[in-house]
Parts: sequence; C-alpha cells; structure tokens
Amino acid sequence: MIKYIVRRLVLLVPILFGLSLLVFVYVRSLPGGPEIALLGERATEQSSEAIRKDLGLDQPLPVQYGRYLKNLASGNFGSSIITRQPVMDELKQRFPATVELGITAILIALILGIPLGFLAAKRYQGFLDHASLGASLIGISFPIFFLALILKWIFAVKLGWLPSFGRIDATIDLPHPTNFYLLDAIIDTNWKAFVDVLKHLILPAIALATIPLAIIARITRAAVLEVTNEDYVRTARAKGLDPSVVDRRHVMKNAMLPVVTVIGLQTGLILTGAVLTETVFAWPGVGSWMLNAIRNADYAVLQGGILFFALITIFSSLLVDISYAFLNPRIRYQ
Amino acid sequence: MSILEAEALELEIEHPSGLWRDAFDRLRRNPGAIIGAVIVALFLFLAVFASVAAPFGQNERVTAPTSTPDGPSSEHRFGVDKQGRDYLSRIIFGARLSLLVGIVSVAVGLSLGLLFGAMAGYFGGWLDTAIMRVMDILLAFPGFLLAIGLVTALGPGLWQIMLAVGITNVPQFARVLRSSVIAQRESDYVLAARSLGARGRRLLLRHVLPNSLAPVIVQATLAMATAIIDVAGLSYVGLGPNDPSLPEWGKMLADSAARLETGTHLVLFPGFAIVLSVLGLNLIGDGLREALDPRLKS
Repeated sequence: MIKYIVRRLVLLVPILFGLSLLVFVYVRSLPGGPEIALLGERATEQSSEAIRKDLGLDQPLPVQYGRYLKNLASGNFGSSIITRQPVMDELKQRFPATVELGITAILIALILGIPLGFLAAKRYQGFLDHASLGASLIGISFPIFFLALILKWIFAVKLGWLPSFGRIDATIDLPHPTNFYLLDAIIDTNWKAFVDVLKHLILPAIALATIPLAIIARITRAAVLEVTNEDYVRTARAKGLDPSVVDRRHVMKNAMLPVVTVIGLQTGLILTGAVLTETVFAWPGVGSWMLNAIRNADYAVLQGGILFFALITIFSSLLVDISYAFLNPRIRYQ
Repeated sequence: MSILEAEALELEIEHPSGLWRDAFDRLRRNPGAIIGAVIVALFLFLAVFASVAAPFGQNERVTAPTSTPDGPSSEHRFGVDKQGRDYLSRIIFGARLSLLVGIVSVAVGLSLGLLFGAMAGYFGGWLDTAIMRVMDILLAFPGFLLAIGLVTALGPGLWQIMLAVGITNVPQFARVLRSSVIAQRESDYVLAARSLGARGRRLLLRHVLPNSLAPVIVQATLAMATAIIDVAGLSYVGLGPNDPSLPEWGKMLADSAARLETGTHLVLFPGFAIVLSVLGLNLIGDGLREALDPRLKS
C-alpha cells in the first residue's frame, strides 16, 4: 500500500512538470498583455515597453520559463501585477474561503442526499421515489448561477434573512490565524462572529450543494437497490435480524462504497461551481480570483491558480484511488 | 390452413425484435422520456418557426428604451427589455441559438471523440495509450474551467464558444466509445465477419461502430444539455458572445442579473427557458439510458 502511494507520488513529478510548461505557454498565448490591463486605453508604445521590462516580459520565453520554474521550486509563485501582492499570500487567503464553502456544500449534499436516496430506494417505484428522482433531475438542470441569483434575491434581498455577499460582516472584528473563518471564530471564542460567518455561508453553500446533492441521492438510491437484492441481505433477514439492523449493518455499509467514490469526483464540480457561485455572492475565494485574473491578463495569478486547480484535482483522484483500497478489502494495490 | 402454416404465422408474429425496436418500445412507456420529448419538440418547433411564432422581430423596438422596463402585460406576455424589445420574441429566437449551441458543440465533441475513441479502442497498443493519456490530461481540468480557458485564448465569438465547449466534450466521448468498441471487438459476430474476410475499415465502420453507438447516443443527449448550461455560464461570467443583438439566454440573464429588483422578468424568463430546455434533454437522455441498457431487457 505504501509502495503504491509512493509510486503514484513519484509519477506526479513528470505530470506536474508538463503541466507547468503547458500553463506557461497557454498564459502567454492569451490575447492582450498585462500592460493593456494596467494602462487600458492610455497605453503608449513607451509606457507599455517600460511595464513589460519591469515585469521581465521583454526577455526570451525560455529565460522567462526558467526563472518561473526556479521560483516555483522555492515556493514563489510570483506577484499579482494588479495588487502587487505575492500570489502565494493571496492564495493563502482565498483558498480557505473556497475550501470552507466547498466543504459546507458537500456536507449539506451528504446530510440530505444519503437519507433521501436511501428512502427513495426503500419506497422503490413509490411516490417518494418518483418525487426525489424528478427533483434531482430538475436540480441537475438548473444553471448554478441562476439558482444562486434566485436564492440571493428571495432570501437576502426580498426577505432580508441572510446577507447577500462576502464572508463576514464588515463591522465584526475577528483575527484570522487560519483564514477558515468558522475556525477563526472558534479559536477566538467569538460566537457572534461564528453565527455571522455561518449566515454568510448558507446561501452560497446551498447553491453549490444542489448538483452534488442530486448526484449523491441518485447514486445512493441505485447502490441501496443493488445491495438489497444481494444474498447476504436475504440471509440476514431470513435469520430474523431486526430490519433496521439489516439496513444499518448490511445494506448501508456496502452501499456506501460508490457514494464515497462519487464524493471524491465532486471536487471538479465544486471547483467549477465555485467560480460561478463566488461571482454571484462576491465570495473572496479562488474562483472569483481566477476570473478577475483572466479579465486583467494577470499572468502570475493565472499561472499559480491554474496549477493549483490542477493539483487539487490530481490529488483528489489519488485520494479516491487510495480510499478504494481502504474501503473495499477485495482491492489491494501492489 | 395446415399446422405448419399456422406455426409459420406465429413465427412471423414473434419475429425477433432488435435492440433499437425494443429500446423504442421501452422509451414509449417511460412517462419521463415522453415529457422530455414533448419539451424538446416544443423548443425545436419554436426554433425552426421562430419568425412565425414570435410576435415581433428579435431586434425590433416596440417601446422607447427605458431603465425600468415594463413587466408582462397582455400585449407583451414576457414584458419588454431595456432596449424596448419584446422579450417573448427574444426568448423564442433564443431557442434557435441554444439549439445551435447544443448541436454544434456536441457535433464537435462527438466527431473528434468518435475518431479518437474508435482508433484507441480498435487498434489498441501504443496508439491507445497515447490517445488516452492526452484525454486524461484534458479530463484533469473540470470541463467548465477548461472552456473558460479556451474561450479566453480563442476570443469571445459565438463560434469560438461552441468550439471551446465542444472540445471539453471530446474526452468523455472518446472514453465511452473506446470501452464500447473494446467490448464489441471481441464479440462473436465480429469474429464471424473477420473469418468471412472483412478487414480493417470495413469491419470497424460496418460492424463494430454501429453496435457501439448506444452509449454514445445517451452521452450526446446529456452533453447537449450540459453545453447549453456551460454556454449560459460563460455568458454569465462575461465570456459570452460579444454581439449585444444576439438573443442568447445566458447573456440576456447576465445582462439583467445585477438589477433583479427592477427587471425580475428579465432574469426569470431566460433562466427558466434554460432550465426547461435542459430538463427536457436530461429526461430524454435518462430515458434512453434505461431503454438502451441491455441488462434491463426482459
């Protein structure tokens, strides 16, 4: 097992190397340079040249790539040309924002999706089954930004129950040792801040949770239906075991394997959804950061951000593969 | 009538039905698929006959431009937009665009995906490895993010957007077709055709491909739904088609998203047009998946 993990990690090196080259070439192929973004219409030949020189963009591409790799190796992702802040520092602030939102969304999807899928399977072909299948299809058919806009309009603007943008009220003073605001509030034992952060999280997390919720409910339903027909479940019932014990110990335990896999595969969906959700709710996470970087041709941020996104996707698929082995004793990696 | 003749009649009645006939019968009995088909047929009708079905032209001014456009009325059932255009007409003409987006981007993804998937699956070996590793790299990026990246590089025109969304579909199609082709390649009827002297291209095009298509058709229906959502999303983040006269639903929604207060109808109508058309395609795709699943054959 450890040998397998080590081998997978070693294999990551050439992939990351290729990826960094790909990202570097891609970013430089984008139309409009950073000087256009910085100077806009006022860009003159002279001022553009000065900025390109200042940013080291006047040097040959291989030299630029070499310098980029050297910096990367020392953990230096460069600085944003717009804010002049190191990309790593911005990432440290923005990544926790996206993770906090993503984890909350996944939790909502699990807490609602697994019981819903289980009940649908128990009432196979019944009203609840048809209703939840229909609802999940409608959920999948909603563009996430449209759902986010509707939620924001009803619950933030019309009813005024929840805040409509940001992570925390501007008047609340909270130190941020981790940048996970919920954790920060607990560390500071500031319960007023905790409640406020939670309120800010609810709407974007619900918007982000819909599609994973629909998928998890469908997978759970299918898995429970399949396991229910297995011989060992019939045996457990035949020997007079309490039905709730059969459900818990035999059905659910075995039905969870595909569900766990699907959770791992949600990472991509969450990242995609984060770009749109963060835009609607002005959530200061990685998604909205990347979009701004695209609009401003912010090379350093784009390079760092894309590499980071790819890293997360690659690591999460590695985690899925490893969790297979832990959950299913029939699979053993050599 | 002799006994043999009677038996022959019975045989005729019970003639073996093929996969497609069975699938169609199952599809007809699936209420979800019927609802989906009706929805998609309605949008198809509106798209084809938009100039007849729409009460006004897509860029025809019916009132003066205003910052507080009127909502639905008996004259303009979906209200008017800020430029004073009839919104119902724009939604109807938008069906044309959404359909175009769905069809073109799936055609791009499908043709490239079919090519790569069939080659990888049929020839195997190093070609298979090379093609599928490239597909894996493409799959490492979530589809919508890849589309954002491609549109940024290609520029914000309608055709560039369809191309970008189409390319994000290539790996899925290639994967689905590859596994399907591998399964068919070893089957008895392919062996039979091979022993009769069929070779290479003829074997692939006449025997293997037609029998590998079922999962691809399901995937294509679902991909069309995703394409409509992705293009709307690109419009929403400001990477949509840059022509303001185009009645693209995602763009219409995005243009008014900031002022939900004054122009609720400007956001809700295109939004629900997207939801409804995508739901229709998803219902058909779901029904097809069940209908074409040979394990469910009774």
